[in-house]
Amino acid sequence: MSPNPNIIDTELSPAAGRGPSYAIQRVYAGFMMWLISRLLQAASAVDPVIKKDIDRLPEDFSFSMRVRSGSPALAMRKMGDDLRAVQPSALQRPALVFEFKHVAHAFLVMSFQESTPRAFANDRLAVDGDFACAMKIMRSLNRMQALVLPRFIAVRALKAYPPIGIVEKLGLAARIYGRLVIDLFKRDPS
Amino acid sequence: MNREYFEFVCPVKMVAGFRALEHIPFELDTRGSVRPMIVSDKGVVAAGLVDIVVKAITSEGGQVGPVFDDVPPDSSMDAVNAGAASYLESGCDAIIAVGGGSVMDTAKAMNIMATEGGGDPRRYAGYNNLKHRLKPYIAVPTTAGTGSEVTAISVIKDTDAGMKTFYFSQFLMPDVAVLDPRMTLKLPPMITAATAMDAMTHAVEAFTCLAKNPLSDAYAEAAIRRISEWLVPVLRKPDDARGRLELAQAAAMAGIAFSNSPVGLVHALAHTIGAMYGVHHGAANSIFLPYVLEFNLPASRADIGDLLFHLAGPEDFAGTPVERRAEAAIARIVEMKEAAHAICGLPRTLSETGKIPKEDLPKIAENSLDDGTVVMNPVDVTYEDALAVLERAWGD
Repeated sequence: MSPNPNIIDTELSPAAGRGPSYAIQRVYAGFMMWLISRLLQAASAVDPVIKKDIDRLPEDFSFSMRVRSGSPALAMRKMGDDLRAVQPSALQRPALVFEFKHVAHAFLVMSFQESTPRAFANDRLAVDGDFACAMKIMRSLNRMQALVLPRFIAVRALKAYPPIGIVEKLGLAARIYGRLVIDLFKRDPS
Repeated sequence: MNREYFEFVCPVKMVAGFRALEHIPFELDTRGSVRPMIVSDKGVVAAGLVDIVVKAITSEGGQVGPVFDDVPPDSSMDAVNAGAASYLESGCDAIIAVGGGSVMDTAKAMNIMATEGGGDPRRYAGYNNLKHRLKPYIAVPTTAGTGSEVTAISVIKDTDAGMKTFYFSQFLMPDVAVLDPRMTLKLPPMITAATAMDAMTHAVEAFTCLAKNPLSDAYAEAAIRRISEWLVPVLRKPDDARGRLELAQAAAMAGIAFSNSPVGLVHALAHTIGAMYGVHHGAANSIFLPYVLEFNLPASRADIGDLLFHLAGPEDFAGTPVERRAEAAIARIVEMKEAAHAICGLPRTLSETGKIPKEDLPKIAENSLDDGTVVMNPVDVTYEDALAVLERAWGD
């Protein structure tokens, strides 16, 4: 906290004066981006619906999701048939970039306070790159969230919750989390 | 907590109405320009519209640089490069686009290269990759539909790359948009109807999609009122200058609306059949509009119901029960389509375009899901949803 109570410490205090500080939001968004990239990597290997969209991406396709300042960020690259999480610094010029204008906007989405379509509509999140590829990645992210999140959380992140039976959902979710754990024990490319 | 948030931008000066073109010399002078290049296409030049603009400038002692009229119907990166080279060689200091959406979009991309002094225009493609103002740019639309005269977007066909290159930046917006009824008086009825329905779709989607906001709503409402009132009279009497101006103003207002509240599923489907079969964009929008509104009813019933006020007027609105207003608004749009079909043959269904094999509908549905506009549609769209809308729009 700033030593002078009349001066707002802009780094530590969100403008609203409520909720976690920007520093905490940055740490949380960074963790979520790390988790999202690993979950999407696992889901793209397990779920046939996501795999179909990933298969249609160009060879060596790469994308990044980041806050405008550059951090936090996630990066993924298509390697053969797989979509792999990589270090953001490993991508010189990703084919596609999803960019949040501010860490507070990334936090809103990553904490399920604002859905991704609403973030686009509110000009908090922008896409730079090929839109057809962007739509495939967004569909994959939506599907992944529908599978791995409890329904009451997923409905806050998605425009519509897809018609997935509970047995199918639990089965796929178990396989995705299992694959995530296996991937973590493998040699991490990042 | 109230989480409402929106952004709105339109720095374009509107110069609209009787003898509007004669204001161009003043607009050039106040921007320090003495030698503008004119960008157009051969059809617009042949129609004598560029001559009218040139005379309006030279009659006040102004100069006009070269007229670049090699813009193809779908724009092209080659035209961008050739036009920029012509601009730089001839020592021009401003651009005046005289034409439809392709001409205005091409001129926007040319302006990047004219300002940067040449190079590869692809360097600046994408979202907000321009960091400073460009050369003075005046847009003179010769159709009343695309709204490109007020938007921050340029889409250029790049044959070498096998794709359309997309530019988005506030700096692409024209400094001035000149709406003069002389520019659209000779537009054929079919093009008049298709472009007006394009503008209607821009306004309706801006009003019903996710990014709607109080300011985009105001422009969308005004555009819808004008198109509802003037489309049929202008189709019946094409030389009605007042009606032509009203439609031009409506197209610009619809452009401002959708530039600040992007479009949805109607455009995703229209983009797809435009790319696959060359169906006119406005005609495609016109075909899909009522079917997509019906699809969006579960999420947008109140917004679509509010459209009735602007489509049919206050008396019809007041006389229609609240729960029936959305269906009545859609019916009013269908009436407009029927009237345009009766007067000039504007297709009402996909089958009436005569360009699309019915067995291709599944492929169209699949491709339309890759169009970025789907994100802004108020209802989530699956393959099955898109196919169902296409089958309804097919007709028979």
